Amino acid sequence: MLVDLQGPWNPIFGRLGLLLEVHYNNPVLFFAFELSVVVGVILVFWATCARKWGYLWREWLTTVDHKKIGVMYILVGLVMLFRGFFDALMIRSQQAIAVGPDSPGMLGAAHGYLPPYHFDQVFTAHGMIMILVAATPILVGIMNIVVPLQIGARDMAYPYLNALGLWLTVVSAALVMIALFVGDFSHAGWVGLAPLTELPYSPGVGVDYWIWSIQIGSIGTTMGAINLIATIVKMRAPGMTWGRIPVFTWTSMASNIIALTSFPVLGVTLALLTFDRYLGTHFFTVGLGGDLMMYTNLFWIWGHPEVYFVVLPAFGMLSEIIPTFSEKPLFGYVTMVIASMAIAAVSWSVWLHHFFTMGAGPNVNAYFSIATMLVGIPTGVKVFNWAFTMYRARMRFDTPMMWAIGSIFLLISGGLTGMMLSVPAVNYIVHNSVFVIAHFHNMFLLIVYAAFGAVSYWFPKVFGFKLDERWGKWFFWFFTAGTLMVFIPMYTLGFMGMTRRLDYISHPAWQPLLTAEMIGIGLYAISIAMFVIQLAVSLRDREKNRVGADAWGTSRSLEWASHSPVPFYNFAVTPVVHARDEWAWRREHGLTSLRPDRYLDIHMPKNTAVPLILGLLSLAFGFAMVWRIWWLAAISVIGIIVVIIYRSFDKDTDYIIPAAEVEKMEKEFLERASKIEGDAPAAGGAAGGVYAAPQAPTKKHQGD
Amino acid sequence: MKFPRALRFMALLPLLFLGGCSTEHFWLLNPKGPISAAELHYMILDVSIMLVIIIPTTLMVIWFLLRYRAKAKAAYDPTWSHSNILEVIVWGVPILIVAVLGYYSYVGIHEVNPYNPTILAKHTQANADPLEVDVITTDWQWLFIYPKQHIASANELVIPTHTKVDFRLTSTSVTNGFFIPQLVGQIYIMPGMRTKQSLLAEHEGVYHGFSAALSGGGFSWMQFKTKAVSQSQFQDWVAKAQQSATHMTYADFEKFARPTVNIGQKTTYFSAVQPGIFEDVIKAARMGKVYPTPNALTENMQSEEFLKHSN
Repeated sequence: MLVDLQGPWNPIFGRLGLLLEVHYNNPVLFFAFELSVVVGVILVFWATCARKWGYLWREWLTTVDHKKIGVMYILVGLVMLFRGFFDALMIRSQQAIAVGPDSPGMLGAAHGYLPPYHFDQVFTAHGMIMILVAATPILVGIMNIVVPLQIGARDMAYPYLNALGLWLTVVSAALVMIALFVGDFSHAGWVGLAPLTELPYSPGVGVDYWIWSIQIGSIGTTMGAINLIATIVKMRAPGMTWGRIPVFTWTSMASNIIALTSFPVLGVTLALLTFDRYLGTHFFTVGLGGDLMMYTNLFWIWGHPEVYFVVLPAFGMLSEIIPTFSEKPLFGYVTMVIASMAIAAVSWSVWLHHFFTMGAGPNVNAYFSIATMLVGIPTGVKVFNWAFTMYRARMRFDTPMMWAIGSIFLLISGGLTGMMLSVPAVNYIVHNSVFVIAHFHNMFLLIVYAAFGAVSYWFPKVFGFKLDERWGKWFFWFFTAGTLMVFIPMYTLGFMGMTRRLDYISHPAWQPLLTAEMIGIGLYAISIAMFVIQLAVSLRDREKNRVGADAWGTSRSLEWASHSPVPFYNFAVTPVVHARDEWAWRREHGLTSLRPDRYLDIHMPKNTAVPLILGLLSLAFGFAMVWRIWWLAAISVIGIIVVIIYRSFDKDTDYIIPAAEVEKMEKEFLERASKIEGDAPAAGGAAGGVYAAPQAPTKKHQGD
Repeated sequence: MKFPRALRFMALLPLLFLGGCSTEHFWLLNPKGPISAAELHYMILDVSIMLVIIIPTTLMVIWFLLRYRAKAKAAYDPTWSHSNILEVIVWGVPILIVAVLGYYSYVGIHEVNPYNPTILAKHTQANADPLEVDVITTDWQWLFIYPKQHIASANELVIPTHTKVDFRLTSTSVTNGFFIPQLVGQIYIMPGMRTKQSLLAEHEGVYHGFSAALSGGGFSWMQFKTKAVSQSQFQDWVAKAQQSATHMTYADFEKFARPTVNIGQKTTYFSAVQPGIFEDVIKAARMGKVYPTPNALTENMQSEEFLKHSN
């Protein structure tokens, strides 16, 4: 042991002895524990009774299919979104109760029901979960599903790496959940405020949970980024030139370039903090030459690009949904691509605006203020382009479109407040206030709206049936009411001077608005119920809601040129691309038949359990490091290395589906599709599977 | 059950909350000194300039949404997806707005810059001596040292009106933010480092001051009253504080700085304050002095351990 620790440690159990010093017996935790255990037991029981284990193992746990991996990413994201919501509920209810010096306290708290120690963990977990294991997995999941389909690829460039990325993200989420019951979580804010994260001020294991959870998850995200970039660069179908790549794929590209270049910074930052906490170095402590400002700089050098990492795919989703339901091509395609790349580029030069108040000189602050404002230019351009896409359109307001429109309004209001924050003179009075919280929730809700829109938009592509429209709209409206009811009071409280992260509210004038926020949270809770009902109803009526290849009838890009649900090999034959909006072009030319000229052998990756095993070993490693159980950490690292070496000698990783078998499977798909109303097979020949269609425009008419 | 169509827009009802706007509790809209007034000025300027673009855009989007519904049977042009004129406008207008905002941002930051707020020069006489106050934050209390008066005040700041007050700030352990919304914006207070801030109160009154950056368990109780009083009242207060029986040497300070949650909003005045405590705190922090938080100090606020560490 190189550092002195408060509390017990022994060679076999590490710091687990801390658990014996009973911390706090809080019914809130017991409720969470019971909920998790009961749901877990029900799931295990169901899987056993219905004999689903084999199915789960073959079809899901060992899969390398990018669509299934995407679905699992989204499921993890949704579960953690729910957990993060519960945290939000606790934060706001505590604040609504703990007002004024005379407010009662219970369960060991002076006011409200959460002592500061617990409350600080709750908001730290809320922030970390929502950004890193809710928003990020949902977006990565959607990119995973959609990008290969949009560019006409069979799978990702590295299917095995893709599965590994997923399981490392799951480990990240699992560590956060374990922290809920075994030990505690960081109470230093999701950004890990240095030197509050250092051992003297955070003596427990909470910060260690936070470090290892993010560290392991971000390795997974980096792998995903490598994979998506390689896929977009190398796996495009013939004819899919750079000028024809759908905008969602472009934004995914921009987004993953950000991820690939920024997550390593986070890795290094957290590693330095790890050295401080485990080895007694002084990178971010004040004493003996360390510098806490260095931590803040490094963290936000990752943290701000990360913001654009999550917002860019959301912009891409809007750019797919709005044209589809406007029955028009996206306005200003080239501009949209340039704007996405510009946002990615500028994202690297704005990090200092997170700490204008740290005492930097006025010229430094002015530089970062203006750099931050520059982001507003391409973002403003995007809003205009979506608006002009709607101009002279024939708009339908299906659920995905409702979410997309909600997104646009959120972007407009969030943009206004963002521009306020980027002015240092204004930032000095609203920094660290709930105004900032309202602003970035506004922006994150834009992402959530776009993601919910994207989920309902691409759901029929993945599962073959549509989500229920009626419950979907109820979900939308309750969610929107909740958004307004929570965040308008929050903006207002910002003008009243309320700071973020307050466990106790000393100023009673804030109470009515805090109560209003509680009502908003209640509306959100109702909307979650609507969402669950929507899923249940859709599942029940799935036969009635089956769709053909083109689920919305006006879809435009290449992913709609495959069956719904998409077979595991994506396309019967690699499609040949003729135009920017390929599916719209094929529909226009009557080439919507999915029967190609001839079938060919398909080369596919084999399922493998290695990523899952590596994930389990990483989980053991993370847990061991948190509790400083050195022997277990050593064994898991050795295990990881051995498994990686073993896998690298495995040459039997792929197989061929013979053309005859493809033809058989395709026949079944086509037969089933022909029974779906309104999806009669189109006249005319094949739409350019193996060969380009004869109707394809000649080079000079392509316009790109 | 069919939900009446028009009633769907009830979801927008929370917008009515905007009607509750008044300035009494809106500290940011009710400044009491030139710096906070300048900050409000730039906020209004920024919002107004942004609204020039935001209001028309919002109206345009709403208009398009209504006009080009499938049911409205408006003109439909399924190929229109490019226009050079519009390209110039969609890039030009944001660039123009950002240029204007950037200019005001540059001017504004110099006016309220914590190290040398130029706006204060207009409000003070050229040769008037500013009041000097050293601010030290501990976990989780405020100490205001008046070096020239040899007094210190814990968890309460008393300043004369119409006098420039210059602060030097540092912290013993973790980062805090010095913030009095109605008087001055924030500046971080960091261990082993010194930041500066200046302010001027134009009106007598009691203003809330608090830490705006999370610093651990006692953070929410970490507030101080700022009493802006007339010059003569200030002299009286100084005289009173100088009579205080509680003194402060650096050794006393180390006792004061032990982790303490100021639940009771306790204020203390110290007399005969040893000079140089501010510098000593910075030096100690740089040498590695820490005031460790006992393991899970604030997990039970009714416990013996907690009561030992609270005011």
